[in-house]
Amino acid sequence: MARKPSTRVVLAKVGLDGHDRGIKIVARALRDAGMEVIYAGLWQTPEAVVRTVADEDADWLGLSLLSGAHLTLVPRVLQLLRDAGLEHVGVLVGGIIPEADIPKLLEIGVARVFGPGTALDEIVGFLRERHGATHA
Amino acid sequence: MLKSLIERLQHGDRLALARLLTLASRGERLEEMSAALPQTSAGSRVVAITGSGGVGKSTLVGKLIELIRAHGQTVAVLACDPQSPLTGGALLGDRFRMPDRTDDDGVFIRSLAAPSGHGAIADHLDVMVRLLDRFGFGVILIETVGAGQGDTVIRDLADVLVLLVQPEMGDDLQWEKAGLPEVADVVVVHKADLPSSELVEAQVRSMLALSKDSHIPVLRVSARTSQGLEQLWETIAGIPSRRVLHNDDGAGLLQAAHAVLADWFAAAKADRLPELQQLLSQWQHGRLNQAEAASALVQLLQREYGAPHEKPGVH
Repeated sequence: MARKPSTRVVLAKVGLDGHDRGIKIVARALRDAGMEVIYAGLWQTPEAVVRTVADEDADWLGLSLLSGAHLTLVPRVLQLLRDAGLEHVGVLVGGIIPEADIPKLLEIGVARVFGPGTALDEIVGFLRERHGATHA
Repeated sequence: MLKSLIERLQHGDRLALARLLTLASRGERLEEMSAALPQTSAGSRVVAITGSGGVGKSTLVGKLIELIRAHGQTVAVLACDPQSPLTGGALLGDRFRMPDRTDDDGVFIRSLAAPSGHGAIADHLDVMVRLLDRFGFGVILIETVGAGQGDTVIRDLADVLVLLVQPEMGDDLQWEKAGLPEVADVVVVHKADLPSSELVEAQVRSMLALSKDSHIPVLRVSARTSQGLEQLWETIAGIPSRRVLHNDDGAGLLQAAHAVLADWFAAAKADRLPELQQLLSQWQHGRLNQAEAASALVQLLQREYGAPHEKPGVH
């Protein structure tokens, strides 16, 4: 019996940043929206995150950064994804990202940046809409 | 596409393995996959780890990964977590407790959502085990959602079933309800660094002795201090494989059928079944040739001991 394919999302925090309240709330919201959420946890290296995305065959990768290191770590993750042949995986960024940096992240291939105050429905809605388009 | 994925799998392409596992977990193209996969097993050892939530399955699996790698074998993990029956969603947090071995191609971890009521494991786990076996992993660890009746399902899939219990789970009567120690090949009293673990070991042993299962090893292990870990792996390695090798040509099944017949035959001898005596005598006196007698024996045993009229003492 084929089961309705559900979206697989890896959520991870990269770098030295111990604030995981937000990412856990997002994990819960995506779960309640019927998605399979693989929570990779704190203090991940870009290499470890990409390995997780590969082995878990994820559709999306959500990175949470509150450390200010997003312009160093996010490009590195994106590069490693491309090196691993995983350019089809969509990347979301959440956390504390200054307004001025958002266009830079979008330009290098991040699908969307969700800052503080984002409604959970907005994240769920975005993934649902995109899932239909990219994983028919 | 499937064919090229399987070709890539055989050449050690992890992305192909990951995608095939996804297809299998969704129940897509299972028959095609089975047909296209190499027939013979690469000889993986399949070890299932079960036990109630919070007993330390993921943490122990994490420790076993390190140990198995130190012994020079490769290891794949299928880690099952519960899927919500209401939304179909799942929060898969097992790999979070496992070691980060990013640069180590000898470790593969896949998180799986297990639907409720499916025996504490994800669907199509048998196909996933075959994929990992054909990829060439030396050890495949399966982590279940929790202990219970599902353990009997996982038992057919694994060479060795390890049941985890822990101190402070309740009084000794609880062992009659919590988990099913009698289906396990090894019982681990986990969190052995806690003070009451010796008492729990004694309780488990006496319970197993009551049900004539005292041959099942009971070990005290602590993932925190690594106490008992080496001994656990040695014990696991020393248990003969119970699993039927799922060869597509049926050789493994035939072997299992032999074992079933042997059990029935032993039971018939023990029961001093008159029909058996009669048949033996007919054969010994040459009134039936060997083929006829053998066929009659199979029919007799099937009639007496085959389902649905199962008799006590026969499984």
